[in-house]
Amino acid sequence: MEEKEKKKHRAKHSGPKAEKKRKRYLNDLGIGDEENARKRNPKAFTVQSAVRMARTFHRTQDLKTKKHHIPVVDRTPLEPPPVVVVVVGPPKVGKSTVIKCLIKNFTRQKLVEIRGPVTIVSGKKRRLTIIECGCDINTMIDLAKVADLVLMLIDASFGFEMETFEFLNICQVHGFPKIMGVLTHLDTFKNNKQLKKTKKKLKHRFWTEVYPGAKLFYLSGMVHGEYQKQEIHNLGRFISVMKFRPLTWQTSHPYVLADRMEELTNPEDVRINPKCDRKISLYGYLRGAHLKNKSQIHMPGVGDFTVSDVSFLPDPCALPEQQKKRSLNEKEKLVYAPLSGVGGIVYDKDAVYIDLGGSHAHEKEEEEARPNQELVQSLISTHSAIDVKMASSKVSLFMDSTPLGSEDVGQEFVMPKEERQVDLKSGRVRRKAVFEDDEKENDDAASDEEDDQEDEEEAVSEHGSDGDDENDAEEESERMLLWEGMAGRRAKRLKTEVPQEEAVNELPAFADSDDDLEVSSEEEGETAPEDSEMEEDEEEEEEEGDVQRTCEDESSVSEFEAANKRAESKQCDMDSEHTETKPQISVHSPKRKAVLTTDSGNCTAEEASESEDENSSLEEGDDEGESHGELEADETNRNGFQQSKAKKADSVRHTKVKTLDTEDDDVENLLREEEEYEEKIDLSADTTGALKWKEDLTQKAAEAFLRQQRSTPNLRKLVYGTAVEDEDQESEGADDELGGLFRVSRPDQASKQKANALDCSKFLVEKPQDWDLEEVMSSIRDCFVTGKWEDDKDAAKLLEEDEELYGDFEDLETGVVHKGKAAAGGEQSGSEEEEEEDEKMSKPEPEEEEKKKERMDKKRKLKEMFDAEYDEGDATYFDDLKEEMHKQAQLNRAEFEDQDDETRVQYEGFRPGMYVRIEIENVPCEFVLNFDPHYPIILGGLGNSEGNVGYVQLRLKKHRWYKKILKTRDPLILSLGWRRFQTIPMFYIEDHNGRQRLLKYTPQHMHCGAAFWGPITPQGTGFLAVQSVSGTTPDFRIAATGVVLDLDKSITIVKKLKLTGFPFKIFKNTCFIKGMFNSQLEVAKFEGAAIRSVSGIRGQIKKALRAPVGAFRATFEDKLLMSDIVFVRTWYPVSIPMFYNPVTSLLKPAGEKGSWSGMKTTGQLRYERGIKLKQNKDSLYKPIVREKRHFNKLHIPKALQKALPFKNKPKNLEKKGKTPKDQWRPAVIREPHEKKISALLSALSTVNNYKIKKAKVKHREQLKEYLKVKQKEDEQKFKRQKEAKKKVYRILGQREKKRQKSSLKGSSKGEKNM
Amino acid sequence: AAGEAQCLSYTGCNFLRQRLVLATLSGRPLKIRKIRAKEEDPGLRDFEASFIRLIDKVTNGSRIEINQTGTTLYYQPGLLYGGSLEHDCSPSRGIGYYLESLLCLAPFMKHPLKIVLRGVTNDQVDPSVDVLKATALPLLKKFGIDGESLEIKINRRGMPPKGGGEILFSCPVRKVLQPVQFTDPGKIKRIRGTAYSVRVSPQMANRMVESARGILNKFLPDIYIYTDHMKGVNSGKSPGFGMCLTAETINGTILSAELASNPQGQGAAVLPEELGQNCAKLLLEEVYRGGCVDSTNQSLALLLMTLGQRDVSKVLLGPLSPYTIEFLRHLRSFFQIMFKIETKTTEEEHMGGEKVLMTCVGIGFCNLSKTIR
Repeated sequence: MEEKEKKKHRAKHSGPKAEKKRKRYLNDLGIGDEENARKRNPKAFTVQSAVRMARTFHRTQDLKTKKHHIPVVDRTPLEPPPVVVVVVGPPKVGKSTVIKCLIKNFTRQKLVEIRGPVTIVSGKKRRLTIIECGCDINTMIDLAKVADLVLMLIDASFGFEMETFEFLNICQVHGFPKIMGVLTHLDTFKNNKQLKKTKKKLKHRFWTEVYPGAKLFYLSGMVHGEYQKQEIHNLGRFISVMKFRPLTWQTSHPYVLADRMEELTNPEDVRINPKCDRKISLYGYLRGAHLKNKSQIHMPGVGDFTVSDVSFLPDPCALPEQQKKRSLNEKEKLVYAPLSGVGGIVYDKDAVYIDLGGSHAHEKEEEEARPNQELVQSLISTHSAIDVKMASSKVSLFMDSTPLGSEDVGQEFVMPKEERQVDLKSGRVRRKAVFEDDEKENDDAASDEEDDQEDEEEAVSEHGSDGDDENDAEEESERMLLWEGMAGRRAKRLKTEVPQEEAVNELPAFADSDDDLEVSSEEEGETAPEDSEMEEDEEEEEEEGDVQRTCEDESSVSEFEAANKRAESKQCDMDSEHTETKPQISVHSPKRKAVLTTDSGNCTAEEASESEDENSSLEEGDDEGESHGELEADETNRNGFQQSKAKKADSVRHTKVKTLDTEDDDVENLLREEEEYEEKIDLSADTTGALKWKEDLTQKAAEAFLRQQRSTPNLRKLVYGTAVEDEDQESEGADDELGGLFRVSRPDQASKQKANALDCSKFLVEKPQDWDLEEVMSSIRDCFVTGKWEDDKDAAKLLEEDEELYGDFEDLETGVVHKGKAAAGGEQSGSEEEEEEDEKMSKPEPEEEEKKKERMDKKRKLKEMFDAEYDEGDATYFDDLKEEMHKQAQLNRAEFEDQDDETRVQYEGFRPGMYVRIEIENVPCEFVLNFDPHYPIILGGLGNSEGNVGYVQLRLKKHRWYKKILKTRDPLILSLGWRRFQTIPMFYIEDHNGRQRLLKYTPQHMHCGAAFWGPITPQGTGFLAVQSVSGTTPDFRIAATGVVLDLDKSITIVKKLKLTGFPFKIFKNTCFIKGMFNSQLEVAKFEGAAIRSVSGIRGQIKKALRAPVGAFRATFEDKLLMSDIVFVRTWYPVSIPMFYNPVTSLLKPAGEKGSWSGMKTTGQLRYERGIKLKQNKDSLYKPIVREKRHFNKLHIPKALQKALPFKNKPKNLEKKGKTPKDQWRPAVIREPHEKKISALLSALSTVNNYKIKKAKVKHREQLKEYLKVKQKEDEQKFKRQKEAKKKVYRILGQREKKRQKSSLKGSSKGEKNM
Repeated sequence: AAGEAQCLSYTGCNFLRQRLVLATLSGRPLKIRKIRAKEEDPGLRDFEASFIRLIDKVTNGSRIEINQTGTTLYYQPGLLYGGSLEHDCSPSRGIGYYLESLLCLAPFMKHPLKIVLRGVTNDQVDPSVDVLKATALPLLKKFGIDGESLEIKINRRGMPPKGGGEILFSCPVRKVLQPVQFTDPGKIKRIRGTAYSVRVSPQMANRMVESARGILNKFLPDIYIYTDHMKGVNSGKSPGFGMCLTAETINGTILSAELASNPQGQGAAVLPEELGQNCAKLLLEEVYRGGCVDSTNQSLALLLMTLGQRDVSKVLLGPLSPYTIEFLRHLRSFFQIMFKIETKTTEEEHMGGEKVLMTCVGIGFCNLSKTIR
């Protein structure tokens, strides 16, 4: 009730408000903030010291450049793969709980058991793959290599454990991923202070290991066996916004963290031999770099394999399609963990498995895993049965073809599959593009081999409906278009040439060449009864080819007519018609644009060798046309040609044409227009038919794009064939079989002539054009600077434009004022405002628009000029580099963006972010039998020749926490690249002269070199070494770390070898030595070598002696003794044991995967078996027995004695004799009285002595006392004197000063007076 | 286990060089069978043997096995070593035959390559050393293989059939190559060339120059053709003459053409005038074909693009030569790389023939031989 108790208002002294107030106050006073101070007192802010300024400048620059990293091209794909989050920590720290909580946080689902990686969608643009890392060092090593983010769990109640540090060190070696610490078990602390202290201590230790300021999370307590929701949410937030730096190894190698494994082995094989090698398929997101099919991979813990097949699958855990909303809805929060059996649904390429979990698991699950159910629902409703979806989906391969349904496709890709065909006669191999439906037909055909006729009919009936002949039609039209282009160009040139006379030879010549290609070609055994439809096609093409030839020959005016005749009469030879009419059109309409063809040079590959033959017969002026003819032949060949003409059926042909007419609109249009042209009948053609088309210019232009599209695959097809090429020789055996009974005898597949032709890179000009002719010359006129330029580069045009811009100028020298041309717009001089006003006033007419555009252009140009002038200096080298990288990254992204995935995959390989299925063959059966999803399966792609082995040299340092030093030739387990393997390293150190000298042990605190035989890994790759991967030790397990320096196929490590010898004859400085070498030859090898005796006398080997064998003459700098030992120091190359043993930990049975042990060290073996080392007796230590030394008497010659001074002369003192008895002194024996007296005397003297002593002490003390007093007095006296002196001196000084002053005055006065 | 890279197998001796080169670079073993198996004189020829010997010289640890008749060759590549070397090339092929392959390998050695090649410098079959010097070296520079030591020096000129020429080729080593975007050839600004003559009248060169100029002057005034008459010991063992021409564009593209006289004692004598004219026409043909890389170096450019970093490289070429097409196929089987091939028509009418735009993503090749300190 009483208001007295109310708190008084306390003004704020800090914070933004207080700051503001203070500022205001100061402003009121007139002393404002810093800026004002600058204004107020400018002098205080001027440059005080130039040096200092320079220094500060340098410093800032240094700091700035320190922040720079070498820019790298950003190669991350647009849709990146899920981020790999590895949860690591010692056992019982709460790893699985954290994972479960995180999954629940992101997806609202509760996973009961987690096995293998779990992929979840964590946000609109991020997915996570969370995987738990056990304490097995193999697992830690593998996962450290693929981790993007590491959640390092630390038991706060216990502190750091060895595993944590080991993992950190592993990470450091293999590129450092982001690391976040998570402290758990914090609820065990009852004392708050202790908790705080522990947190702080752990934090700082963590910081020293990772980096200062590394993020450390605290998970305080558990609620119902889970961490607190808010804390997990925060952790999740951090994870989902985290940015990652690219790690070198990861970005340069493709890798897959497999989340699913299927066995594909034929069950029969397994039944026959349960231990047979298996074929498996692994699934997972591809990360890192692009993966190519058939490339080499390494599976850590299993071994090296070659990918037998890769395919990409629809993303099982796709990011939501871009929607403009803030958060994900429940449907988009996907979780994908096939190994954990999430949802109980497993997809395969061609099947969906539903895991029912036993007959009664049903009811239980429904209650327990409610959220799961939801997921299942969503999966079933949305994605369910991918194969069904695929079955319903349709793909159209070509523009106008009907979409292909899955019934047409047995394969995953709707991609032309390659079929190897071998021509019966020549044995040439063709790579036929077989679409799946074709193949089906083939199969049919194969099944009822007995009746070709029937087959044919079947094919005919199929014609009407099947989408397959659309393809054919498409192909034809494609070819046709191709021809149009070619012929067009040909016509351009042929105007000058009339090579008509060759026409006669021409046909046989072609037939000849045809023989080359076709007669020689031969059908593959199994596909021999080819579907007749194909045959028809082929025949037609052949005919077309014939016609082609003729038309080429007579491509003149007469030809023109003939062609038209044929055009009228012929119905089926459409293609040829097009090509024939084409020249005319181009003659008529020289303005025609964009002639699109494959180039002549592009098609001569196969025929390169044959062309010579042809050339001899085909004396055609135009080599272009000729090679096109070859192309045509090639094409037909490609389609799996057969020679049998007898089976020709006209009806087939007609239906074919019909379908063509209906399907191919373009063609039809063209056909109709054709009639406007003069039509004549060509007698040479064997069939008749009306084909009408006319060249429509606008249409032509519209189709330019289409044609481009079509001609491209043609060229591609020419180079690469249609599909992936098999390895020729591997499938050879299968090819030879014909019906399993007969073997076709035929020449080699590749025509002999080609295989053994001249190997030359020159691209010879078969038929040079006549460069004297004006037309020919003009065809390259614009390739020269003297020719016409493009508009944007033409100097004259540019100048003109510039003139418009900078028209007005005054020549200062001459004083002439140049007026700029009134630019197209007219009013140029008006100010901008005026112009704008004009704009506003006048209606936006096209003219006005144009003007405006012009102005904008001008402005832009001016701005560019300005920028170029003033911004140039600002851009540093670093900026330029960055810009360049950025550009490259953009190009990388843009280049294949518009293509569909299947084509893209062929060019780029499988790009990271795709969900791929990788098939691998010849996997050891143990991998499948002992499969344990808790252990990560990683497929690491290997670069070129990274699958090879060689000598690898490393820079190595023993880890400072490892207790022992490492011994040369002891097996060591290295983790290098993707691999873990055991090998035998040799340690060496490099001497100053570059010699690599073997070391027996690693130095304690120094780097040394190491060389081993093992997999080739790029230089600069980090590695770590452990001595054993099995079991656990309390000690730190990482023995050494380092980096790869060099790769080679030979090494130059040497060790010292001393050869000893003994002199057997000694002259003055020359000496004969034996026992060092065994032959004269050996000596000869060492002539001139430096030798040394143990006593240090140096010498040289001179020449071998005849006897004894291996003895030689040597010279020394001094005379040797016979007892000397002579040695020569040599270097002996060391060989490295070729021991490379991959750690196959994943092949161990479940539960023993952490117990892989490889080769043991000899030390271990000895210890285990109790074998003592047999020591060399000589190197044992024995008690040293030293004999007593006897020295002889010093003998000085008499002559010397004489010369010596007396004191040095030996004195010949003779010993005194014994004292005679009479000279002995007698003993005194006192009387009792005397004894008393003497005792008393001694007592008295003792007393006296004591007294004297006492007195002495006293006196000394007195003296001390006195001295002290005296000193004091002296000091005082001294002080007094000093003061007195001071006084005196001061007086004296004053007096002196006075005197001086007076004297000065006096003098000045004196001067004045003077 | 490691060391089991798939062995590639081929038949026939054609494209032997590119196969060996690609095998060396990719580290994959290679087997070639049926080398001239059906011919009267089966097996490898001396120039091929010489080439294999050269490959053996520049590598370390490669295993080469040839069967008794020489019809089967097994090659397991080692690591490229380099250093100072000498090699006597077989006179049945030009030095260009060997040099072309060395150009592919030299940037990836352990030690910078410095090799003296002896043999036929200019012949009618292979690209001559002059042409490679004028075209291949600028091409290498575009990929970042640069430096003072990159050079080809012609010490002596040797004509077939006896040869006697000598060149020095040196090349620095690189760890990685730069990606290139080389799509605009630009317009030809000058034509240079060399007319050489050995052991014939020095007037021959001048006659060739005159006639060639006569043709080229219709297109461009900036033409200079050097005459190079070598004498004495520098002139090799056989007489002959020839000419090579290069056209350089404003963007640094260099197109080339060359022609040499018939070897002594083979074929009819060639008039220098005629040769000059034909050579000039060949150059015009080359210009007609166009592209940013001339036809002899197409495969080199494509190889270096393939071996680049994992970035997109583009290059515009003229029509692909048969050799290049085969090379592309080999690139796919050795490196699993496929080029995106697009035909480009020139919009202008007077810009020569059609061009091909080749695009690829590099494989991220790095020089495994180079030592780091």
